[in-house]
Amino acid sequence: MNKRNHDIVFEHTGYRREDFSVCLGCKICASVCTVNDLSLNVNPQDILISLFMGEEVSADHGLVRYCTNCYRCTHACPWGIRIPEVIRAVRESLAMESTFEKAFKGSLKIWGRVYEPYIFLRAGMFLVKEGYLRYMPKWTEYMSFHLPHKVKSLNSLSDSKGRT
Amino acid sequence: MDYAYYPGCSLTGSARKLDKGVRKLFKKLGHTLKDIPDWNCCGAFEYGDRKELVKLSGENLQKAKDVASDVIAPCPACSRNLKEANEDGGLRVYNPLDLFDKEFLSGLTMKRDLKGQVFTPYYGCVLMRPKETAIPNSNVMEDFVTALGGDVAGEKIKDRCCGGNQFFINKWATEKLSRMILEKSKGTILVFCPLCQMALKTFSTNEKIIYFTDLILYASGEENKL
Repeated sequence: MNKRNHDIVFEHTGYRREDFSVCLGCKICASVCTVNDLSLNVNPQDILISLFMGEEVSADHGLVRYCTNCYRCTHACPWGIRIPEVIRAVRESLAMESTFEKAFKGSLKIWGRVYEPYIFLRAGMFLVKEGYLRYMPKWTEYMSFHLPHKVKSLNSLSDSKGRT
Repeated sequence: MDYAYYPGCSLTGSARKLDKGVRKLFKKLGHTLKDIPDWNCCGAFEYGDRKELVKLSGENLQKAKDVASDVIAPCPACSRNLKEANEDGGLRVYNPLDLFDKEFLSGLTMKRDLKGQVFTPYYGCVLMRPKETAIPNSNVMEDFVTALGGDVAGEKIKDRCCGGNQFFINKWATEKLSRMILEKSKGTILVFCPLCQMALKTFSTNEKIIYFTDLILYASGEENKL
């Protein structure tokens, strides 16, 4: 993670480097972090300190890989730092897009909406390989099928980054 | 009252049941949901750039302006993103759970009680956090159940994470987190988030998981079974 990656994180989140200097090191974020329910022993504070110090954040850091966007850290943090948004920006700066995310953004590029049958087709190999197909009967319980609708007016995707 | 209605992507597909329930319920309460024309995806959680998310949802708010000044978005990710984009406060953006208090639901005549039945209201993350976009009453489902004589369980897991966000990335993580919630729940699990519903349903064995709207419709005599 180089300086450019750091800049992307600050640009994307709207935080400034000095905003992370307020972290008190109380570790309350670590005490409530959902990723620690997975026995991964992570401390969100590590990421904030690394960004503040201009140090590398590894793509293999447990939080970068497994953050669930639950905002328990933000809720508990005395400063309300939106750590999940920082993690999302870190992932984007490191180009850590999953197959599903690529399919999601691909659908938005075509229709401006998520068209679920497209996602399943585009991520088909991944879903087969990773054993998702056996769950499909359970997913259909509350589902209905429809044809895609193409959004006519959508300006924000015309200049955005990170899409397929 | 007229509301601008933002169904969002999942409510047109995998969570169509929630869409049907919300539409039916608002109609029964005498409100009109007017679909926002040509709405686009809110961006869900898939964009690392906050500005990009706000822009996507901001377009939806622009499209809503000609429809009504009160916007309803049932999917918690959508309502959260729309609330975030509503920076100037030009519109009022609601998740239906923001509104479902005793007074709002007083227009319904309850035809069934819930005596002898146990429910685990499960809110998950997005409805509860961050506080700027959270629902105002974090006991809205409990209040409804207890008012009709039902029993409530699962207080400790109601705002824990199902891991749905990792479902198509690291399935094992979602499985572990969802199973933890399923094991600590009792009776029928009430949900409002399509992603939570999908994650819990996927890893459930015999647990019944329903949308809260369907419980309200059942109690008001609209649906015959849960």
